[in-house]
Amino acid sequence: MPNTILIVDDESESPIVNAVKRRLDKEGWLTQIIKPEPSGSIGDEFEALTLYTIEADSPDGILLDIRLGEHKEDQFKGLDILQKIVNNYPRLPVLMFTQYAQGPDRETAVRGSLQWDAPVDFIDKLASPEEVVLRLRRLIGSTPEKIPINDCLYLDTNTKTVFVRTNEQSVLIEDINGAKFDIFKELVTTWYRSPGELVPFSRLERYFEGEDSRGSLRVRIREIKISLGKALGISLGASDLIINVRDQGYRLVPPKM
Amino acid sequence: MLVFAFAGIMGLIISPFVGETLTDYLWGVEPTAYLSVGVILVALLTMALSYYIPRLLGRSESLVGVDQRTAERWGLLTQQYFELFHHDLGRPLRRILGKERELRLTFRAAETKLHPEIQGLLDEIEAQTPSFRLMVSNIQLLVQLEAPTVPTIQPVEPSELIRRIVDRYTPVAGDAYKEITWWSEPAEFGLVYCDGAAIEHILTNLVDNMVRYATEHIEIQLTRNLTDFFIRVWDDGPGIAPHYTEHIFDRGWTPEVARIEEKTSSGLGLFIANMLAIKYGGDLTVESIVEPDPEHHTAFLLSLPIKGPM
Repeated sequence: MPNTILIVDDESESPIVNAVKRRLDKEGWLTQIIKPEPSGSIGDEFEALTLYTIEADSPDGILLDIRLGEHKEDQFKGLDILQKIVNNYPRLPVLMFTQYAQGPDRETAVRGSLQWDAPVDFIDKLASPEEVVLRLRRLIGSTPEKIPINDCLYLDTNTKTVFVRTNEQSVLIEDINGAKFDIFKELVTTWYRSPGELVPFSRLERYFEGEDSRGSLRVRIREIKISLGKALGISLGASDLIINVRDQGYRLVPPKM
Repeated sequence: MLVFAFAGIMGLIISPFVGETLTDYLWGVEPTAYLSVGVILVALLTMALSYYIPRLLGRSESLVGVDQRTAERWGLLTQQYFELFHHDLGRPLRRILGKERELRLTFRAAETKLHPEIQGLLDEIEAQTPSFRLMVSNIQLLVQLEAPTVPTIQPVEPSELIRRIVDRYTPVAGDAYKEITWWSEPAEFGLVYCDGAAIEHILTNLVDNMVRYATEHIEIQLTRNLTDFFIRVWDDGPGIAPHYTEHIFDRGWTPEVARIEEKTSSGLGLFIANMLAIKYGGDLTVESIVEPDPEHHTAFLLSLPIKGPM
């Protein structure tokens, strides 16, 4: 089942929120937008409808704006809603849109009132849609069954396969199986949640037994690159796809096609 | 002073007897009496001064207190006006960015190849956004540093802070064919006690600089010992000359200042980063090797106490 993200924003029709919504759609997530009927207090309407929708539809994550209306009372309405969500649904991930000028001080104060491991994060509204998605991925914590590495390379965690999709056809890369698949999956899932994060050798070497696990790992990495290079029709060198950084570990750099 | 006053009173009482004894003349009584009165008066005067002067000093302290309170009020007012101003400024900026992003997605969905100049314009708007966000945060922090507050200490996961900064700058770096890599030792780093927003702000300033000046690679390394944790931010750029590194944390200073050229940045970022590091009981240092040395690079090292400032 794809994740459902509830968007609570009085500017939900604005281009900037629309761009985020389109990126969430591209991620394969469903989005639900809170649109209360105009009435006396727009902030209160947002609050009531948000809490009702959470109870009724159990979304997987919430994008919540701090400011929900132009009235002075609605300036920080999002924080009231956040408090109620945290009290009633403490494990529901919430990503709060802040205005950047409110950032450090207010965010610190709000964080101080939460448990340190509460699934709540803050991001300013000028953040790129890509950044919003990365934060939500980590807040929600789950990875999809099929992880797109680039436009044509995919890893399927369910069937434990890697395949290339070209011209609406999927070609399975049979060589990447067993320990090689496990290593590649470790690299891909880390990259999916946090691009740029290194996977330390220790986390990859545990898939090997014997004395020279580092040497075995190097060999498997080379084999993975050869198989993927053949499937993609490109040559993958030492600084392509899977890179050894300062002999600390490896990181994934998806090839640009 | 009480002792002196008592001695003076006693002198006054016994002056008729002492005076006659000392001088064998009646007129000896008067000087002794006068002397005793003098001692009493000096003692009383000293007592009075020692009572009132501290109160006068205390009143002038409270006048200073009023100045401090006024300064804090001004600092708070400035912050509030700043928030209002930037909320209003934010609206058109959000519209511009929103339109740029919508346009980009529309063209991508239609698989339309954009004219290089249009692509360049869209990329430039997106590339400048993180720096603009940082500039606004820097100005706000500068206001806050001018009206100092008590440091806020909370449990913080520094690896998550680094992830967030890398999220923000990876697309910008990627567009310039640069890469950001990060890791922590140990891999499961744990918590530290600090103001997470402050650490994030310091690192954002460092990474923003690195993305600008790196040739290809930026690396962020998180380590710790028993008492402190360290974040080293490294790039493979041309390096900073030693006579520049002396001034790199000066407020408003940029290399252009030394060359009497137009500044390309505000010169506030590293100043604020350094001030924040000091505020939280830590330190920020820089080391660099300059081209044409093949090992050319620049590295900033942030160190902070794990348990927070003393």
